[in-house]
Amino acid sequence: MQESDRIADVEQGPEQRAHPEWQPGADLSGQQLDGLDLSGMRLSGANLRGVHLQSANLKGTWLDGANLTGANLAGADLQFAVLGGAILDGASFAGANMHSVNLVGARGTRVDFSKANLYYARPGNAVLHECIFRQANIQRAIFRRADLRGSDFTGAQGQANFDRANKEGVRE
Amino acid sequence: MIFGHFLLGVNEANAFILGCEETKEAWLIDAGEYDPRFGRFLDKYGLTLTGILVTHGHWDHTDGLAECVAAFKAKVYSNLDTMAGVASTQLGHGDVIHIGRIEGHIVETPGHTPDGISLIVPGMVFTGDALFNGSVGGTGTPADHDRQLQAIRDHIFSLPVETQVHVGHGPSTTVGIEKQYNPFFV
Repeated sequence: MQESDRIADVEQGPEQRAHPEWQPGADLSGQQLDGLDLSGMRLSGANLRGVHLQSANLKGTWLDGANLTGANLAGADLQFAVLGGAILDGASFAGANMHSVNLVGARGTRVDFSKANLYYARPGNAVLHECIFRQANIQRAIFRRADLRGSDFTGAQGQANFDRANKEGVRE
Repeated sequence: MIFGHFLLGVNEANAFILGCEETKEAWLIDAGEYDPRFGRFLDKYGLTLTGILVTHGHWDHTDGLAECVAAFKAKVYSNLDTMAGVASTQLGHGDVIHIGRIEGHIVETPGHTPDGISLIVPGMVFTGDALFNGSVGGTGTPADHDRQLQAIRDHIFSLPVETQVHVGHGPSTTVGIEKQYNPFFV
């Protein structure tokens, strides 16, 4: 489906079931999926280590508990995607649209969120050490109880909720 | 099942359409405003809107109700007999609804408001403002807060962990994520 055909922010219709190999727990590690439309699909717990998803459409995609170690999602559209409990070590979300993304309980070291749009994102209880939020939009993001030790928020824009977050060594 | 999620312009509220692929009947869940995309979504999938479920009576979930009823001639369902000035079929705990061949179960999840209800369909639950991703809806008193958390524990967290939770504001989530990470419960 082309983005221009989209009517709802997230749709789950028959086309989301058109790829039977893309299911919860699937192994898509290392695959070249740049620019693909995976919106609304259920890939919970999938192995996406090192996957290439630059500028992909992941609106409302279910990636909870998925392993995205070393994945490249730079410039991807992840609005309303569900990444709760996902593993994000070394992944890049640089410049991605992560409006209202679910990152509750996600874990990762040196994840790149630079210039990402994290408006209204929910990284509560996430463990994100030494991550890069340079020039990201964090307006209304909720980092409640997140462990952000050593992360870099230099030039980040907007007011976020850091209630009981661990900001030890955070640069702002 | 056909599913659509709409981020509305009113207070960042969500609305959803659930449709039956077999009978082409559909329901709208919450109507914070009338959004022309509703009609386009229904047309795209050949659906007819027969019901509008209101999860609770706050303005950002009801302000578009009268206009949606007028546009789609759909019946209104809520925990009250009148919702935002519109006649409503009253649903309570344990009631069963049908969206075509999709069977839904109503559970009461009060606290944020006294009339809060959630809709459970296969694989999904719609919680309104009772439960959010990583949070819960605001309450007026400690007793209401306790009532809300207990209702969520009893009726939402008892669902399978992979159940999709679609909420009144913010991103969707799963029962498993909220049981493990929501700071109001852990």
